[in-house]
This record gives sequence, structure tokens and C-alpha cells, in this order.
Amino acid sequence: MPAPNPTTRKKPKLKPKTQTDVPWNVVVLDDPVNLQAYVTMVFKRVFGYPQQRAETLMMEVHTQGRSIVWTGGREKAEFYVQQLHGWQLQTKMEKSS
Amino acid sequence: MNVLPTLDGGLCILPESDADWHELELICSDVGRPAHLAESLADLMDSDSEWEQYVVPELEENFNSQCRYVAAAIEHARDHNEHGVFITPAQAEKWYGAINQARLSLEARYQLDTLENTIEDALGEVNDLEPELRSAYFRNRFYLFLQSMMLDYVMDAP
Repeated sequence: MPAPNPTTRKKPKLKPKTQTDVPWNVVVLDDPVNLQAYVTMVFKRVFGYPQQRAETLMMEVHTQGRSIVWTGGREKAEFYVQQLHGWQLQTKMEKSS
Repeated sequence: MNVLPTLDGGLCILPESDADWHELELICSDVGRPAHLAESLADLMDSDSEWEQYVVPELEENFNSQCRYVAAAIEHARDHNEHGVFITPAQAEKWYGAINQARLSLEARYQLDTLENTIEDALGEVNDLEPELRSAYFRNRFYLFLQSMMLDYVMDAP
């Protein structure tokens, strides 16, 4: 199977949610293995971010240990987390405060 | 072992001895159980997301297929007495993914990042390590070098 591909990956089937209007953050956590250039490349590929924004987010992960890389609806957030897991980045979701 | 960029935008790994070939073969051995990575990533999600049920199997298959691909490419090159292992741009993500799994697994087993910070610029201290740990340290450095070459010349080349 090829590396994560946005056109082929399936969205998780979810239980019906009652709070669909609450925004969710996609949070990438720092780890000692993934290279900075790789993390930047993944942000560009998954979110379509330009180089500068992708680098800024990557540096936030590196220096602060985490970065909110996207905020929005739950299903889309889960889709992005699934993609980032496919690229082997430590990623989680949390409700936006 | 030499690693060179190719004219078609890929990479060529040129093992020079049986030991070099063995070192390449260790990539997939170092991965261990790819399912472990998929499961550890799922631990970051809450149980409400049903990640274990719907996402982990697909991730596991993805990670497994990266290892199978790399193992087969190395085996094929060695069995056919090819001079090296070629990584085309289309294959680079699979290679990078398998090597990354190996590095994640080594890190989990040996905490090499912490070790690296304590022995930086002191090669003598590396030689004083236990053989198993020293071997893991140098394999990790080799994998890191391969990943850097792939990023620089193949995957994210300008």
C-alpha cells in the first residue's frame, strides 16, 4: 500500500455525535524521531500549507512540544488525524476552548 | 556503503560487503511489530472515536506493507546480484516510512535521543557502550542519514 493518500483513506465510521458544532483542534506532539524537514513536508502535503506556515507550525511543535495545526469540525479533524498517523506523527484531537 | 542521488531524482544505495547488505536487511528487523506503532498512535485518541476498530487495522496494514516492500526490494537486489538498491521518487515514501518505523522502534527500545544528547561529540563514549546499544546507536545514525538523503534529494527536493 502506498503512503497515506488523501484520496484513498477512509474516514472512521463514527457514532452519532450530539455536539457537532464544537470545534476540534488537531494537535501534533513533539517526538525525538521525526525530522524537522519531514514534519514540514507532511504539513504541506496533508493541509496544503505553504512552506512558511508549515515551518512555523513545525517549529512550534519542536520548541513548545505541541502545536494546533488545524481547527474545525470533528469529522474533518478525525480525517486529518488519521492522515497524520499514517505519516507516523504523534497526533491527537481536543475540543477547542 | 555508499548512497548516491540518481539522475532520475531517486537514490541508489550501494552496499560494498555482506555486512552492508545485512545492515540494510536490519531495517525491517528493527521495526519489530508494525502493529505496535498503530496501537500506540491510537492511544492518543479517546475511546469514543473508535480508532482501534476503524483506523488501526488500516494503519497497521499500511505500516506492514512498507516493511514488506522494503524487505522484498533488498532481497531482490541481493538475490539478483545487483550492484545496489535503487529508490525511485515513487518508492521513496514507502522506504522512508519503513525506516521511520525502525527508528521509532529503536527509540522506544533504547532511548537513543537521550543517549545522543549525553554522548554528543564524544565518540570514545560510544565505543564504551554495551555492544547491543552501540549497534543500535550506529544503525539509528545510518537510518537517519538515509532519511536525510531522501528528504534532500527525493521527497522534498525543490
